[in-house]
Amino acid sequence: MENLKPMDLGVNMLCFTASYAIALVLEFLSLWAHLRWRRLALLAATSAGLVAHTWFLGQRVALTPRAPLATHQDWYLLAAWLLALIYLAAKLYYPKSSMGLFLLPAVLGLIAGAQAASNTQLATFQGPRLWGRVHGMFLMLGTVAVLLGFLAGLMYLIQSYRLKHKRATGTALRLPSLEWLERVNSRALAAATLLVGGGFFTGVMSRLVQSNQEPFIPWTDPVVMSLSAMLIWLVVAEVFRLIYPPARRGRKVAYQTVAAFAFLVFVLAVILLQDSLHLTRAVTEIMP
Amino acid sequence: MNLQMIGCSHRDATLGIRQQLAFNAQRAREALAAWQSQFPHIELALISTCNRVELYAAATSEDDAPTADELRGALLDFRQIPRQDIEGQLVALTGWDVVRHLYRVAASLDSMVVGEPQILSQVKQAYQRAQEIGCAGPLLHELFQSALRTAKRVAGETSLHKHRVSLPSVAIADLAACVFETFDDKHVLVIGAGETADETLRYLRDAGQAQIHVVNRSDKRGQELAHKWSGTYHPWEQLWDQLVLADLAISTTSADERIVSANDFGQLVAPGRHQRPLFILDLAVPRDFEPRVGDSLGVYLYSLDDLDRACEQNRKARTAQVPSAERIVDQETGRFLAEINRRATAPVISGLREGFERPKAAELNRLFRRLPDLDATAKREIEQFADRLVNKMLHPPLESLRDAAKNGTPHGLLDAIKRLFHLED
Repeated sequence: MENLKPMDLGVNMLCFTASYAIALVLEFLSLWAHLRWRRLALLAATSAGLVAHTWFLGQRVALTPRAPLATHQDWYLLAAWLLALIYLAAKLYYPKSSMGLFLLPAVLGLIAGAQAASNTQLATFQGPRLWGRVHGMFLMLGTVAVLLGFLAGLMYLIQSYRLKHKRATGTALRLPSLEWLERVNSRALAAATLLVGGGFFTGVMSRLVQSNQEPFIPWTDPVVMSLSAMLIWLVVAEVFRLIYPPARRGRKVAYQTVAAFAFLVFVLAVILLQDSLHLTRAVTEIMP
Repeated sequence: MNLQMIGCSHRDATLGIRQQLAFNAQRAREALAAWQSQFPHIELALISTCNRVELYAAATSEDDAPTADELRGALLDFRQIPRQDIEGQLVALTGWDVVRHLYRVAASLDSMVVGEPQILSQVKQAYQRAQEIGCAGPLLHELFQSALRTAKRVAGETSLHKHRVSLPSVAIADLAACVFETFDDKHVLVIGAGETADETLRYLRDAGQAQIHVVNRSDKRGQELAHKWSGTYHPWEQLWDQLVLADLAISTTSADERIVSANDFGQLVAPGRHQRPLFILDLAVPRDFEPRVGDSLGVYLYSLDDLDRACEQNRKARTAQVPSAERIVDQETGRFLAEINRRATAPVISGLREGFERPKAAELNRLFRRLPDLDATAKREIEQFADRLVNKMLHPPLESLRDAAKNGTPHGLLDAIKRLFHLED
């Protein structure tokens, strides 16, 4: 079994975690003080974090050809990298917004998840390895989409609350418009449905095309069950949105993404605590 | 450098006096040209806005500068205002007070609405006008450029200008912008055709090309407003249909009774909207919308009181920024003062140095001629000795000059040094 040790690399997780944490502190500081250099420092900290993060993932790829989705840890780190990239783009597009207060904790949360996650080589299924990779990529992108939708939904609910209660002005907390948040929210939900669906389908396919044993789908496995539940919720939410116009609007979409996030947290918790599907048995059986 | 300012502002003069004294662009040009012939050796600039009329004058020396009375006379005579009419309402400033005042004016710290952004361009225009006519020279160039720089520093380093304080600007730029990303494709319904509606639409047009729809009880006034803003007029009976379609509703009627009750809204409007966001600005007194309409899903209802509170918050936020802005003005005034004083003392310092360097070089030459056997090392040592001696002799007067220059141009000391060391102007 291949056990990867990222701490041995020149750039370690602390480098980019610290950079993102500094960016988060700067975002918080801007709620109280008008700092002239804040935006520049914030962009510099996030960019530095992204460079270190990219370097770290690049080292992982150099170390093992299956990276950056070779381990649960990689999977979390890649999701965090993508979210950090989205944050940087959002910061450039909306320089004055306080989106970092929402996106950066999620980035740091994913990195914390990476610390807690297994660093053991994930088993690719016995079928063609492509299915396993596509499966991992779909689910990683689906996770980012759900997270993004959840954060946009959260911001929507806060912004809507502030507007309803006449508290939208006079504070340093600047959020994008409801229209923008609703659009991001809605698109993230649609993308999450497709990506999680794609991840589920490719997972099933990779099981079915296994060559050296009887095709078998472990429907009762906790990981499969929780992912199925999440997918069912996403599909139902999408169908609901298609047939019921108010569900396409504002708060209802926000609530849908909050619920999708709850499912996601559940799936990730199951994977962290009880993933028998991707690790032990598969590794012994599959590694070439 | 002699600086003077004569003028009045909202602080000291009544609106009537300000209106009598005010100059439009053309009259300002004519006045500057007239004053230029009257005072050919001074530089002049005139700032004239709704809230202030200020004439700035700069001269290289005291002898060239007109008296405050002469400037006051020039200003009043041009506008043909008897002096007794304006008694006590004109302010005269001189020297560094002028610098600080102009910096405060440009940074909008002296404005009626502190932080309003128009004043900066008005100061810029005043200087450009003076330049075009040939009234502004290097002194005013330095003064106005540094004033504009100060204003930019205040704008960049504080949030003084970032908080809007007028009702329509807060309503559109602060609040409606929290709901809509763009106004370009939005259906804006204006209920009533009063002045408030007109003013709000002006801000809205600046924010984007919204589709404007007007509903009014009087067809004539409604059509006029719709025509003015390239919108569409709808008869009063279509109010409910239009509310169903609207993204933003601005209500400004002078009706004595409420126009939209929560009940009517729930029955006639909400079902057709499917909870699509609706931002309502109820700018009417008494209110046109029942407050409970704001409880409906997707509806954000703001009344005049709500907007007033938002404006007040912004005003407080601006006030909180004033000390930081004043600190910047103080820093920049100090910098300007130091620079001007440095320039005033520079000729004396260089004259003094030259006055010591010349005899030093002559004495060294004489010494080296009398001692031809000196080798290069000995010559270098003697030269260094002479340099050190001159520097040490110059140090006390230069130090005294620099110290004195920190508090203004030390004319007395400069004269004394010139006389003591026989320095020519």
